[in-house]
Amino acid sequence: MILDYQMNSITTVQPLVQGLWRVTARTDDTLFSAEVTLDIMAPALDIRNARIEVRRDTLGLTPDLSKVSEKLVGVRVGPGMTKIVRGLIGGETGSARIAELVLEAMEMLVNALTVPELRKATQAIGKDIAFPDDGPTVFLNNRVIGTEQAASMAANPRLKDSCVVFRDL
Amino acid sequence: MLIYSRMKSVGVQKQGENRRVVSGVLEDELYAMQCEIAVDWPTLTLESVQARMKRFTTERCPLASEVFARAEGWRIDSELDGKIKKELGRMGCRHMAILMVDCCRALARAELARELATALEADPALDKKGLAEDFFRRYPDLKDYLQLV
Repeated sequence: MILDYQMNSITTVQPLVQGLWRVTARTDDTLFSAEVTLDIMAPALDIRNARIEVRRDTLGLTPDLSKVSEKLVGVRVGPGMTKIVRGLIGGETGSARIAELVLEAMEMLVNALTVPELRKATQAIGKDIAFPDDGPTVFLNNRVIGTEQAASMAANPRLKDSCVVFRDL
Repeated sequence: MLIYSRMKSVGVQKQGENRRVVSGVLEDELYAMQCEIAVDWPTLTLESVQARMKRFTTERCPLASEVFARAEGWRIDSELDGKIKKELGRMGCRHMAILMVDCCRALARAELARELATALEADPALDKKGLAEDFFRRYPDLKDYLQLV
């Protein structure tokens, strides 16, 4: 069957100097293309620089947001960011889609910072498995964090009940 | 050098007058997953949802796959994103919930893109913004859902 609509998006995280990351989130679909670039600095994880570029807007529905991006400077990655970003970028005169792209960029920094911790945990205390749905010849999940370790991680209030991994343990 | 990269790709197809199918994949350093949803049109009802956790971090992650079928019978409206993120994301997997939200939004945008493509064939100088306004008058639920395209 031939597709008649496609959406592709990519978000990348690149360290610039120690404690400063550049997060770029780009989305492209049949009707729309935009890119958000945020420079975010530790330890507060606050936005130091922000750029919003709408590259293609076939329907002409997105307002000019080039000036609005400056309002993002100072916003922190952390609790409350969703409401703040939607308030600054979304709403009647803004763009809900761009607001979501900004939030995605901010959330992916958290993911990026989690990768080395999960890699260490998987190597140190992971268990070898052969997940039946992977096979029969190529296994994508040869080593994962086991249920016992997940139970101890669930003691962290930020993780407890956050997803199926940390629920009912 | 990049330390992290997440790719998402979503495609939509029309299967007959009343059925739309969307398929999405997500890949990053930590996860790989895919989601397929069949939707009845124009009732905007999710008829079938398949979620597959392909690559993950804990042995409990695959339990999330079954949670997403709970969305069968839900409608595409302004409540949908919140329900997916809160009910399915927290009970299942937040990353799969993000992919599913993208899939559902793609379904709505695809409908508009399809109408635009057809209209442009007949009238290359078409008022595109006017077409979008007319589309949202006919599908007020989608206007609330997408807010802006």
